[in-house]
Amino acid sequence: MNRREMIAAAGATFGSALLTACDSTGPARAAGALTFAQHKNETLERALFSHRSRDRVAPGVGVAGDKFPSYFISDRVPIWDAAMRGAWRLEVGGMVSRPMAFSLDDLMRLERQTQRVNHYCVEGWTAVADFTGVPVSALAAACGVDPASRFVDFESFDDGYHESWDIESAMHPQTIIVYGKDGSPLSAAYGAPARVHSPVKYGYKNTKYLTRVMFLPAANGGYWSDRGYEWYGGL
Amino acid sequence: MTQGTPAGSPRHHWVVRVTHWVNVVALSLMVGSGLRIFNAYPAFARKGETFCCYPFEGMAIPSWLTFGGWLAGARQWHFAMMWVLVVNGLIYMAWVYLHGEWRDLVPRRGDLRDSVEMVKYYAFVRKDHPRQGKHNALQKAAYFALPWIALLTVVSGIAIWKPVQFAGLTDLLGGYTWARYWHFVSMVAVVAIAVGHVFMVFAVDPYALRSMTTGGWSERLSPEARNARPFINLKL
Repeated sequence: MNRREMIAAAGATFGSALLTACDSTGPARAAGALTFAQHKNETLERALFSHRSRDRVAPGVGVAGDKFPSYFISDRVPIWDAAMRGAWRLEVGGMVSRPMAFSLDDLMRLERQTQRVNHYCVEGWTAVADFTGVPVSALAAACGVDPASRFVDFESFDDGYHESWDIESAMHPQTIIVYGKDGSPLSAAYGAPARVHSPVKYGYKNTKYLTRVMFLPAANGGYWSDRGYEWYGGL
Repeated sequence: MTQGTPAGSPRHHWVVRVTHWVNVVALSLMVGSGLRIFNAYPAFARKGETFCCYPFEGMAIPSWLTFGGWLAGARQWHFAMMWVLVVNGLIYMAWVYLHGEWRDLVPRRGDLRDSVEMVKYYAFVRKDHPRQGKHNALQKAAYFALPWIALLTVVSGIAIWKPVQFAGLTDLLGGYTWARYWHFVSMVAVVAIAVGHVFMVFAVDPYALRSMTTGGWSERLSPEARNARPFINLKL
């Protein structure tokens, strides 16, 4: 084999390796390194996180309205069946001194916050909405959260969907339990009666159709987090 | 006579050779996984709006150009490989600066004229290869521009990675939508330079494959000595 043939052979090997690699998930042996990098990234992301940070929507940018994508995992739009399951309540429990069950009216009587923010989807799109609700930090204060609680799990009646968060992100001033969107009550397509929303987390972390908020000592995964997406999912 | 590489010494220092090939792998994986991420929403418009400046809104990148298999897989690769790319790039830049190699790369007075002469030469308007240093003027322009364009890719990447924690940076780039656009456009520019570079290596100076791998080279095989144009005078 002369030099030219060698270069050609090397090129062909490299080229076919590249072609096989295309749109694959990569060699299985890389999985450990990828997980390691993800954990290191999460440590860095949590160090970068600040409660003083704010999502900003540029002046003049309007809300997406009904162009805001609607998403749920059930076959049909999940609707709370009061006849079957009783009146809807948002339970707050776990590591709290006063476990509570809030009706929608109860939630509306708590501290109310309206904010125009971006919704960041992991797919890369954003949508703007005016969300109205109660800050999770206010909910936590009302229920007397144990300072030892480091995680929060947001559970829903959308076919078992849930996502757990680090408590710092849950206590961010722009993290709210939403019951109003664009000046109207939250509709079924967007997670009625209530959902969590925060610009500091990707959409998949923002559980809709809420049933329970559980303050926990450890993380509890989540629907998409258990399917390969980063558990942290922070912005 | 080519200047800039003393006879008998390798054409490229081992630091340059190693970082070059690490970069080939890291950049390919970053571009491939980035395009796979892009395919989850191959558009720039904020929901409910239109976007002025991308004619291919909604058209997916062919999957053979992508890497990662699915969105979450591609994100894992992208956010792991970014460290390799950035650290490797910093090592290269630091070395080029400390070792004085930047002198072969920074634009100088007369480079514009020399670039025109190179274009004229490749277009057969000019007969003989222009005199050059280690690189010709067109190469210098490409190798000098590349790190700056790559810097824009990295900075815009940070802006769309942490648009809330680094809201100031994201605003500086025009907000999330534009930061994502600059990330894409600067990536396309980097890829365009890389494709042009690889084409010229094979069409004009395949001997560079050897000098970028082992460092070995011969003055009489330089494009200037061979009077080489694309696909012409490949051999001595």
